[in-house]
Amino acid sequence: MATRGIDFQTLSLMDALDLAILIEDEAQERYEDFAAQMDQHRTPAAARFFRLMAFNESKHGEELSARRAELFGEAPRAVTREMIYDIEAPDFDEVRAFMTPRQAMEAALASEVKAHSFFLAAIPVLKDAGVKALFEELRDEEVYHRELVTEELAKLPPDSAVSDEDFVDEPAPQ
Amino acid sequence: MSATCEFQAKDYKSSLKPIWCPGCGDFSVVQGIYRALAAIGRPPHEIAFVSGIGCSSRIPGYTTAYGFNSVHGRSLPIAQGIKLANPDLLVLAAGGDGDGFSIGGGHIAHLIRRNMDITYIVMDNQIYGLTKGQLSPTSQKGRVTCTSRFGSLEEPVNPLLYVLAYGAGFVAQASPTDLVGMAATIEEAIRYPGFAFVNIQSPCVTYGEEAQQIKGLKAISENLAAMGHNPADRLAAMDLAQQYGQKMHLGVFYRNPEPAPTYDGLVRERQAALSKNAPPKEQILDLFIKK
Repeated sequence: MATRGIDFQTLSLMDALDLAILIEDEAQERYEDFAAQMDQHRTPAAARFFRLMAFNESKHGEELSARRAELFGEAPRAVTREMIYDIEAPDFDEVRAFMTPRQAMEAALASEVKAHSFFLAAIPVLKDAGVKALFEELRDEEVYHRELVTEELAKLPPDSAVSDEDFVDEPAPQ
Repeated sequence: MSATCEFQAKDYKSSLKPIWCPGCGDFSVVQGIYRALAAIGRPPHEIAFVSGIGCSSRIPGYTTAYGFNSVHGRSLPIAQGIKLANPDLLVLAAGGDGDGFSIGGGHIAHLIRRNMDITYIVMDNQIYGLTKGQLSPTSQKGRVTCTSRFGSLEEPVNPLLYVLAYGAGFVAQASPTDLVGMAATIEEAIRYPGFAFVNIQSPCVTYGEEAQQIKGLKAISENLAAMGHNPADRLAAMDLAQQYGQKMHLGVFYRNPEPAPTYDGLVRERQAALSKNAPPKEQILDLFIKK
């Protein structure tokens, strides 16, 4: 999780909204990529879950886009995707072939925690009251998302005692 | 050559879905390349991306640049040919540690001494992953694999020291543990006027050892700029490069403050000079025809 070239002290509400939209875009894209990887590696349950997460991220992105359009119309965007790195998108190394739905949910949970930490760390630096209110709202949403995923995790039956590591062969001579 | 204009990272992402193992470090590397190319701003059709053979050598296909997934170990000679044929292209070469430092090891020296304006990205995972986990030239001594049942008896190649010793003008290391740094390092390598080498510690999630995964790499990472390393100091760079395998230094080890002219540039100059006295194209055949 990192940013490049963002001055949080001078961030305007329009830029903050754009940033929030880009964060959702990045997460949506990563979940879609994860779903495709799971499909390719015959892990359909995790693929379904990652698709659901991608849908949720896109829904949230659309809500933010609507707010942005209402407040600022078609004003050109000053922030770009290149300024953010894995804010809400789960890290690339969070997935494995044959991961269980529980592991997939744990990966999503870790990314919600990560996004929460991002907003939490940024808030004290912000000067604009509107931006501060937006970041506080986003921070609280991450808490809500975390609770949702935690509830879903609790509903899952425990993973099998056999892990995918048990299927890894010791190196055999060739 | 067209003027640079605004491109975004997504403009360099192809519609082909990577088939690397989920969690592979190369997913981060390709993202770093998209971002670096966006920062450079050259349109995809002005970029040629050549690779050898291996998991990481699939990378050109995942970009919108012209790509050539070539022959094992031969990405550099092919990249060199492309650069000489069309010097206006931005030429990248990529591959794994086996591709670059085993079968292709002999080519590196010559691109370095010629200072070809090519950026060479090696995804170093210390294993032959595509062929299911054999020793590679950068595997640590003692490593147990299917071709070393009782542990490797060989010392690994040190890629950083290797290229520094041959006189490379730009030598850097990056890792998926620091995405911002990786994209910035690749960008800086591309901007360097000459042969630029970036070693990326990219973990193999299937055959790599625990210590070589992201968490393990984070534990041994140190940022060269934060350490106060002067990238103009070649001897200091060589000193730090000796810690390859124990420490993971990230950033620029060496950037020649006075880069030598590039071979492709010199060839262009020579062509321009010789063509002044050359007969017109229409008369060239006359030289070979008896009248």
